[in-house]
This record gives sequence, C-alpha cells and structure tokens, in this order.
Amino acid sequence: MGETAIQTNGLGKRYGSFWALENCNVSVPEGSVSALVGPNGAGKSTLLKLLVGLSSASTGEGEVLGKTPAQHEDFLSEIGYLAQEIPLYKTLNAADHIKMGKHLNKRFDEAFIRKRLTELDIPLDRAVGKLSGGQRAQVALALALAKKPKLLLLDEPVAALDPLARHDFLSSLAQAVADGGLTVVMSSHLLADLERVSDHVIVLAAGKTQLCDDIETVLKEHTLLVGPRTESKKLPEGVSVIHETSTAKQSTLLVRVDKGMKLPGTWQPHEPNIEEIILAYMGQAKEGGAR
Amino acid sequence: MNWFVWRQHRKQFLVFGILLAVFAALLIPTGNHYWHLYQQALVNCAQHPAVYSCSDLSDTLFTAPSDGLIRIGEVLGTFGLPLLVGLFIGSPLLAKEYEEGTNKLAWTQSVSRRKWLTTKLAWALGFALLYGIAVTLLATWWSRTINTVALNRFVQGHFETQGLMPVAYSVFFTAVGFMMSAWFRKTLLALAITFGVFVLCMASFANWVRPHYMTPVTVTAPMGPNDLEGKIPTNGAWVLSRNIVDKNGKAIGDIFPSAPSQCQQIIQQAEVPGSHGHAFKAAPSPNGGDPIDDCLNKAGFHQIAKYQPAYRYWDFQRIEAGIYLGATAVAVAATYLLVLKRDA
Repeated sequence: MGETAIQTNGLGKRYGSFWALENCNVSVPEGSVSALVGPNGAGKSTLLKLLVGLSSASTGEGEVLGKTPAQHEDFLSEIGYLAQEIPLYKTLNAADHIKMGKHLNKRFDEAFIRKRLTELDIPLDRAVGKLSGGQRAQVALALALAKKPKLLLLDEPVAALDPLARHDFLSSLAQAVADGGLTVVMSSHLLADLERVSDHVIVLAAGKTQLCDDIETVLKEHTLLVGPRTESKKLPEGVSVIHETSTAKQSTLLVRVDKGMKLPGTWQPHEPNIEEIILAYMGQAKEGGAR
Repeated sequence: MNWFVWRQHRKQFLVFGILLAVFAALLIPTGNHYWHLYQQALVNCAQHPAVYSCSDLSDTLFTAPSDGLIRIGEVLGTFGLPLLVGLFIGSPLLAKEYEEGTNKLAWTQSVSRRKWLTTKLAWALGFALLYGIAVTLLATWWSRTINTVALNRFVQGHFETQGLMPVAYSVFFTAVGFMMSAWFRKTLLALAITFGVFVLCMASFANWVRPHYMTPVTVTAPMGPNDLEGKIPTNGAWVLSRNIVDKNGKAIGDIFPSAPSQCQQIIQQAEVPGSHGHAFKAAPSPNGGDPIDDCLNKAGFHQIAKYQPAYRYWDFQRIEAGIYLGATAVAVAATYLLVLKRDA
C-alpha cells in the first residue's frame, strides 16, 4: 500500500451553527477498502461530499489523490461517487445512462459497463425508474466503475436494498476491487456487510473521527477485559478504556492497549471482534456528547 | 454535454414546438383575414365616402363576435408563450436535477460544474431566444391591421406583444426560472415565483415605468373646448395626461372650488337650476367665446397635456427590451453564483 489516497487535516463542515463534521482527521491508504461507519447524522455523507468536491469545507483541508477536491474535470475524472439516494435519471434507460457516461467522461469503458449490466440481466432499454432498487444500485455502481476511477466513494449504497440485492452489490464491489487499482471508501451502518469487504475502518460519531486504522491493527490494539468492578479505576497508564459495561460485581471493559503493555492479572482478556470495537467507539462518543 | 441536454429535455422542446405550431395556426389565417378586411374597407371608403369614413376604420373592422376572441387569443398567446418558456424550460432544467438528486450524478462525472451549467443555460436561453423571435414575427405581422387602425402601440397589450418585447420576455423569464431554481431548488416553487415575477412586471411596467423612458412632450392651450385636442398628434401618440391647471401650474380636479369668486359667480349663473354640473347657458362673451372659459383664462387657468410621440415607439422598445436584457444578465450571473458556490 504505502501511498495515501485520502488525507484530511482538521476538516470541518458547519451549517449555520451546527457542525456536521468537526476536526476530522482521516488517512486512507491507496488500495484499501475502508468502511466508514457511524450512527445517523455522524457526518459520513458530509465527509464523502467534501471529498468529492460536492461541498466545500468550512475549516481544515483534505487531499484526495494528491489534489484538493474541486469542481474540475481533472479531479473528478479519477473519482467515482455514488450518492446516498442513488440518483439516476428516472425517465432515461440504462443505455441512455451509458451514453451519458460516454459524453460526460473522457475515459469511459463502455464495453465494460455493457458487459457487466448484461451479465446482471439488467434490461438496457427500460427506464431506470422502472427497475428494482437493486438493479438501480447496480446501474449506478457500474456507471461509477466505468469511469475507471482510482477512488470510489460510496454513500450507504446498500442501505435501501434487500439482503439478496445487498449481497449481489457487495459481490460486484468485491470483484471490482479484486480487479485492482481501486481504493474504496464505503459508508454504512450495517457493520456485518462492511466487515466482509473492508480492510480499513473509519468510525465517525458526533461529527468527529473516533477511529481510523487498519482493521488488523485495530483488532490487535484492542482487548476486552472482564474483571471485578472495583478494579476498573485501577488500570495502569497506557491502557485506555473505550467503553465499560458493568453488572453489580463485574465490569466488562473494552480497552486500547499501547504496544508492549502488560495487563494486570486481575483482568481476564478476551479478543473482541471488529463489530464490538466499533460499537464501543460509537457508544463512547454518545456518552461523551451526553456529558 | 450537448447531446445529454438534448436527450434529457427533448420532450419539452418538442412540446413547445407543437405550441408554436398551434399559435401559428391561429395567427396566420386570422392575420390574413383582417388585413384583407382592411384592404376592402379602404376601397369601400374611397368609393363611398358618404357611407364609410376612411379616418375611422376601426369601427367598421373587428365587429364580428369572434373578433374579440381572436384578439384575446393573440394577446394571450404572445404574452403566454414567452412566460411558458420561462416556466417550463427555465425552471425544470435545473430545479428537477436538485429535486431528484441527479445534480450529484452529473457533477461527479468528468465535467466541471461550470461547463455543465453553461451548456444548460446556453440551450435554454438559445431556445428562448429563437422562440421569442418566432412569436414576435408572428404577432407583429398579425398586428399590422390593428396597428394601422388603432395606431397607439405603447399601451398594454400592444407594446408587449410586438417588436423586441416577446424576445426580451422569453429570454428574461427563462433566466429568472433558472435563478429561482438554483435558489430554491424546488420546481414548483421556482415556477410559482417566476410566475409572480411575470405578474409583477406586467402590472408595473406599462403604468409606472414605461411612461418615464423619455421626457414627454408637453402642450398647453387656453380653456376652451377643442384647443388642446388640436395640438395632440392623432397618429399614434401615447397621451399620458390631460389636465386643467391653475396659474401656479397645479392640476385641478374640480374647477368650481378652485376658481376665483368672479368666475364662480358666472358659473353659478350659468347653471340650470336643479341640475348638477355645468350646463353652459350663459350669454356669449363679447369675443364670441364662452364667458366661463374667458374668466378662467384671465385668472391664469389653462389646459395641459403630456404625450409620447409615435416616432418614439422603437426607442421605447429598445429601452424596455434593454432593461429586461440587463435584468437577464443579472439573473444569469446570480445563477452561476448560486450553482457554483453553494454545496450540492
């Protein structure tokens, strides 16, 4: 990997007095598939729009493929973007959309998209408004991929799809990633789906970055500790509690452990899965907001 | 990009083509018909001067019950078609994209937002321009009969339906439609506001703005029955006001209360008992004029009229069309700002 596809530095977006995204610092390595997760209103869509140049930042800066996001064709030609509502021209058919792609992009792989949509049995001559939600999502994804982008930004593309369509969509995505040369950032709140396709995770909550790292690293750095409740305040430095759930006697802690730290023997360590870690970070942000 | 704008909106363009054909189908036969009637009337009045008066042909033309309807159709069409272009080409071309979120699809292809907007605007404004030209050619040609007999082309219903104005309206309301779409991002709202702007323009220009483009010609005459009328040209001038003024130049509504007492006496003597107003039965004054007029003239009263001469018609057309085209430029600039500076 090595190279960075996306780097943001204190990126923020304010609407009136409301910060939709605040001091966002993420770094996405080239070739990775990043899961952008967070509760509703966490700023996921805002971040993606900032990255593709549909919105302009209120503070901070972002660098996408070495460029500042702009309404410019040199920038746009390297990025595929799929908005949350999967917008397509309802009265036009898929063939019209392919022609649109050809006319509006210098680089557009018409053979690829025709082959792909034919494989998926999507009629090219029917108005896309009359296709199923899953088919529309596939058309939109194929359009974005036919641009041959280096970076693909997907905003909750599977949210509205039934399980089968969701599976098909993610398979299509996985196939495109396997073909190589593509960095993907996909937002969702369906954690299980993301786990299947992604190797990098960004947790946004309450408008801020809670976590941004390789899933492998994240798994290595986090531990689930079970121990007596009275001990929960006595953890050594270098072990930070992300989330705590307690019963009368016993506490379960999700902690981030600095490299080389040894845990006190009073605690029984368990390996958490990525879903537990993400939920812990989202819970932490929520408590932080409530405090 | 051009192909795409055409593919997206060809139905709208087609519908407007049909509308124009319907409009032409109404105007071409009726326009010919009235011109023919006029030519016939000219021949008739020349042959039978005792029966028909050549100076007052309007009474002998346009008398069939359908004439009024046809004229209304012509006026509505000429007002309506440019407005419709503004409403149904100007607004949906942009607002619908926002409404359906397709702007996010279009703006993430490899075309800059500026180029995308420029292409859309060029198509819409270009279409509006051609449309306005077609409408005005038809309507101006149709109006030649009415222009010849009714003469005054400055007033509402005549000025707006001929010459440069249909073109200016077409382009202007399209630009307004775009601007409102970029502003409010809702097709219906943009439509409603564009329509509101149209109503506002039509209600204000003819009465409050247009009379002031050039300083009107002022003519004065002493008090008396026909002196003033003789000084106002009859060949299509736009008479803005006719007034009686006192010696200070102040316009007077009712003569009696403002007249000096000696004139009031003459007026009172002249009034027929039991009747209201002036029934002038006073004895003629020594110079043969009306004694009331003589008295008022001595007191400094006189008549005054202001008018715009007919030869200024094309100046007025140029000025008003210029105002609308200037406003069009402002609306287009605002559209660019709204589309390029605001977030998707």
